[in-house]
Amino acid sequence: MKSIATPTRILEIEGLSARYGHVEALRPVDLHVDEGELVAVLGPNGAGKSTLMNAIMGLVPTQGQVKFRGRAVPRRAPAAAAGLGIVLVPEGRGIFAPMTVAENLELGAYLLNDKHEYARRTARVLAMFPRLKERLAQTAGSLSGGEQQMLAVGRALMSEPKILLLDEPSLGLAPRIIDEILQKLGELNRQGLSIILVEQKAPLVLKLANRAYLLSVGSIAAEIDPRTIKSHDELVQYYLG
Amino acid sequence: MAQFRFTSGLLLAGAVALSGTSGARAQDAYKIGMSAGLTGYAATVDRAWRDGVEVAIAAVNAAGGVDGRKLELVVEDNRSEPQEAVTAYRKMLSSDKVQVFASGCVSAGNFAAAPLVVRAETPMVLCSILPQQPDHVKWAFTTIPQPRFEVETRLEYIQKKTQIKKIGVLHDPSPYANAQKAAAEKEAKDYGLEIVGVEQYKTDDADLSVQIQKMYAAGARALIKIGLGGTTLTAAKNIKQLDLDMIMLTSLEDIAVFRPVAEVLGDKFFFVASPSQVYDEIESSPLKTEIGKFLTPWRAKYKDRDPNWAGRGWDAVMLIAAAAGKAKSVEGPKVRDALESMDNFQGTTGIYHMSATNHQGITENPLLLATITGGQVKVVK
Amino acid sequence: MNSFNTIWANGRGNLATWLLWGLAAVFVVYTFASGGYLIAVLQFALIYTVLVTGLNIFMGFTGQVSFGHNAFAAIGGYSSAVLTATYGWEPLPAGLVGLAGALLCALVIGYPVLRLRGHYLAMATLAIGLIVYEVAVQWQSVTQGYMGISGIAPIGIGRFTITSDRGLLVFLMIAAALALLSAAGIRRSRLGRAFVAAAGSEDAARALGIDVARYKLIAFMISAAYAAIAGSLFAHAVGFVSPEVFGLPMVVMSFTMLYVGGIGTIAGPALGAIIISVLPESFRTFKDYQDLAYGAALIVILIYAPRGLASLPELWARWRRRSA
Ligand SMILES: Nc1ncnc2c1ncn2[C@@H]1O[C@H](COP(=O)(O)OP(=O)(O)OP(=O)(O)O)[C@@H](O)[C@H]1O
Ligand SMILES: [Mg+2]
Repeated sequence: MKSIATPTRILEIEGLSARYGHVEALRPVDLHVDEGELVAVLGPNGAGKSTLMNAIMGLVPTQGQVKFRGRAVPRRAPAAAAGLGIVLVPEGRGIFAPMTVAENLELGAYLLNDKHEYARRTARVLAMFPRLKERLAQTAGSLSGGEQQMLAVGRALMSEPKILLLDEPSLGLAPRIIDEILQKLGELNRQGLSIILVEQKAPLVLKLANRAYLLSVGSIAAEIDPRTIKSHDELVQYYLG
Repeated sequence: MAQFRFTSGLLLAGAVALSGTSGARAQDAYKIGMSAGLTGYAATVDRAWRDGVEVAIAAVNAAGGVDGRKLELVVEDNRSEPQEAVTAYRKMLSSDKVQVFASGCVSAGNFAAAPLVVRAETPMVLCSILPQQPDHVKWAFTTIPQPRFEVETRLEYIQKKTQIKKIGVLHDPSPYANAQKAAAEKEAKDYGLEIVGVEQYKTDDADLSVQIQKMYAAGARALIKIGLGGTTLTAAKNIKQLDLDMIMLTSLEDIAVFRPVAEVLGDKFFFVASPSQVYDEIESSPLKTEIGKFLTPWRAKYKDRDPNWAGRGWDAVMLIAAAAGKAKSVEGPKVRDALESMDNFQGTTGIYHMSATNHQGITENPLLLATITGGQVKVVK
Repeated sequence: MNSFNTIWANGRGNLATWLLWGLAAVFVVYTFASGGYLIAVLQFALIYTVLVTGLNIFMGFTGQVSFGHNAFAAIGGYSSAVLTATYGWEPLPAGLVGLAGALLCALVIGYPVLRLRGHYLAMATLAIGLIVYEVAVQWQSVTQGYMGISGIAPIGIGRFTITSDRGLLVFLMIAAALALLSAAGIRRSRLGRAFVAAAGSEDAARALGIDVARYKLIAFMISAAYAAIAGSLFAHAVGFVSPEVFGLPMVVMSFTMLYVGGIGTIAGPALGAIIISVLPESFRTFKDYQDLAYGAALIVILIYAPRGLASLPELWARWRRRSA
């Protein structure tokens, strides 16, 4: 009895928490993402945004539950999460500088072992980021910051994720490049990809996001409907509590 | 960029330096090669050995050399490592055209190089123990007294001069120490003694009280300590701290090492000495005369530096010179055969009785037991 | 450290590359023709090439640290020595037993140890080396302690044994070449990319679904296998093994070769092994100053080619670009 009207959950998080020694970086949080949604996670420095992303992937020890399309995502097993289709573009991009652009892309599809499928996905990513095409044989470390971010996103797309987690993709980039990357993300989202987008620069993403969570000192301070945020001041209001 | 040119220049210079390796030039010199651990763990012993060899070569050359030829020494440092020793031996064989070896105490290095030396039909007179393989032994001779002598000197003293019946053996893992340990285990009962404990230590151990106490608890009242270096002092301190009623008898060593030990243990401390170490104490004999020949130039050059290992280096050169003189040839096989006939050869360590079946010539125990009282080394009669 | 692997790729066809390989070839041909002790030096260099190539897979490709690969060389060397000299086995099966032993040992040790990072991993591997050394000293009934095992037969199969120096040199050249080629193959494979990814950023690699712990273990085992083969080659080439052969100096030597040659590159281990073996020989005439000259040469190389000799072609290319 599948209902088309009610949206289905792609990601459902219940009571997820994480700590580094004595520091409780993430208090138990609940949140969800529906299929095809672009959800923003906002918050100031140190709020726990990266910790939340790493916790979903299983890169840090956590408590609580993460469900992907109704199935529990194994904890402390990022490879298993990736296998389910949850892929993270980490803060600082995490590209492999000594390797060529082509090798970085191949690593994105690491779990895939099919040459034709690989070629198809590469073509798709290169169509999306033509700048990478000219630089396939170049080492990733020699790319500009913006190109590196494109490579990080492209690499994540190589695995054809079901949900893409992006941790501050705008970090250290010029406004023009940020616009370009966000525009691509919007495009991907319109094609049906679910996305969680972590940002500090809220105004940039609120135009794009279906919903937003506001994270503060490790807890979710608010869930925001971007359409209701009329002005920047109103958001500042949220930040200040 | 200049850097690159410099680096490649360096490579070229290296290549050029290599191509200039010299062959034998002085046709009339008799070339003696030495692979010695001038650096690394064997440095103390092998430097003394080398210096003894040099003093002996100077003495032989001053007397006209061998068969009209001057002796010439080629020394290569093997860093106390077998792999370096192989390279050193090969270099001396192929580049320096060395005709005989007087190599140091790094036994692993001599063993590793033995096949090469055998293939080149070059005899070697060693400071270390002999190789294991019979075909290697054929070309190798050693100046080292049999390991059992060091043990027997001590067992005899315990039997004859003390009431002690139970003893302990404390040794390091070196082959020579292991051989002494085996000799002690085999022969103790011949001296009416019982070994109540055998303990091993490592040369860098900073405390031996556990091993010593264990043997003491088992009834040992004499400790046979086998091995070189600072552990002798450590053992002495441990015996003193634990206030044990126990004497310690240690193996051959540079006497300088023993002076602080004697200060700790006093009359409970004995050590095995070679005749050259107690030259002034021994009676006139052919042995004393031979030691005198060595000690005169040695003391002129090195004052009161310990003559033990250097004396064996002296013996090695004298054996080689005598053998080449007898063979009237410096060809490897002939010198080897002549070395095998060096019977009743008086050295500074004892009398060598080399034969086809015995390449470790000293067959009678030349070693003495000594103490240090009031700073003076005394032979225990 | 942005591009250690491109050095290889970009260097092809460049004058400095040809010069480096030309020099190496001249040296090899000269040694081969002249005979003499340089053959021994080169034989050791080739054996070390195998060892350092393995170490490079673990340290250069995978970005880990090991001070304990002498342990695996010892396992290989002693297996070959004991099984051929004491039990009369053929070199090949004896070597394979050593290889299997090293792999097993690497698996058992690597599994817990590779969860450690940085200093802890380095310390743990150092301990492995010391433990195996101690076993070689103490297990006298098998290893004969410091006496070592001599009379190990030369390498060969059945009635065909390599007894001549030049024959052994050619054999070792083939072995070293195979080591380099296989390492190049690994580097270009999926496996190699996973190694380099783990070296770059463990978290990023994990987030892509790469099981970093598993690949670190695989890299550790592969490099242990190279070390075991090098150990077996040593045993047969020299005919003798003892604990000192596989002591800490082996670790220091292989590290020097790896860094001087160029860590993370393909050709680096071979360049490093040859240069580090040959340099002290060219300074041998300096006698007491040999170590000093050798040390000075090392410093010069590391200052002017900090990423190793394998980076010379790249330095050359940069110089050409700048002067053009
Ligand atoms: N590895 C770590 N060990 C200890 N504490 C950590 C670690 N990583 C993060 N923290 C702490 O956890 C808290 C949350 O950090 P997190 O990186 O998740 O914040 P963030 O919201 O991503 O910040 P930013 O906007 O600066 O990236 C901070 O107080 C931080 O200091
Ligand atoms: Mg963050």
